[in-house]
Amino acid sequence: MADNWSFVIAAYGLAVVVLAMYWRFLVRRERELDDAGVVRQQLRQAPGVSGHAQTEPGSRSPLP
Amino acid sequence: MRRLLGGATLAGLVAGLVMAFGIAPREATQGNVQRIMYLHVPSVWVAYLAFAVVLVASITYLVRRLEAADRLAHASAEVGVLFTGLTIATGSIWGKPTWGTWWTWDARLTSVSILFVMYLGYLLLRGMVEDRERGARFAAVLGIVAAFNIPLVHFSVIWWRTLHQPPSLMKPGPGAMPGIIVAALLVNFAAFTLLYVYFVTRRTVVLGLEAEAEA
Repeated sequence: MADNWSFVIAAYGLAVVVLAMYWRFLVRRERELDDAGVVRQQLRQAPGVSGHAQTEPGSRSPLP
Repeated sequence: MRRLLGGATLAGLVAGLVMAFGIAPREATQGNVQRIMYLHVPSVWVAYLAFAVVLVASITYLVRRLEAADRLAHASAEVGVLFTGLTIATGSIWGKPTWGTWWTWDARLTSVSILFVMYLGYLLLRGMVEDRERGARFAAVLGIVAAFNIPLVHFSVIWWRTLHQPPSLMKPGPGAMPGIIVAALLVNFAAFTLLYVYFVTRRTVVLGLEAEAEA
């Protein structure tokens, strides 16, 4: 029987492409979620949307 | 740890390729096209392994409601679908020069297609149900039911008359393959198992991060 190397190359080539694409998807998705997690954590720690420190209403001094 | 696993996987895959193309001899009947076996058979092994893990993780989730078990089942099903697809595609490529056809509806090919569609449905089901807990519960039930198809796929070539050859390694009785071919196959089995563990580990981490982002 002929060796049919083209079929061997097609099978292994397909496997390399599919597995590499899945690996790339996992790496990119994890990086995206990691970055989003860092941003969320920074927003939580930030003093406010405006960037100014917020005080409790009771602690504010009355107007003169 | 993950970097170490990644390195071991890569080394295993390279060793597998060396065994398949450098060490294993040219098969007398089929010629070099038989080397597809070192890719096709380990792929279906990983698919069986992945769906067996889905079965165990699904039972664990239904009994103990552990989110980690649900994530493991989800990750394993996804990797299993990937390798089942690869098994079908490489089998089809191997079938054309040896059987003279890309596809035939014989017992093995049909049962493995059903397995593929069932786990594809499993993944779709997870995406369709909005309530995460309900989705996980439904998927766990489907993950258990679908696992009953695994022995059907494996023994289909023994139970029915098929174009597909009978199992080479995992069959009852003594093996008929030369030792060097068995060794090449075993190296590829090990490499693909490492690849499965690597993919599932990474996917489980990603699923955990996705759950955190949704919370």
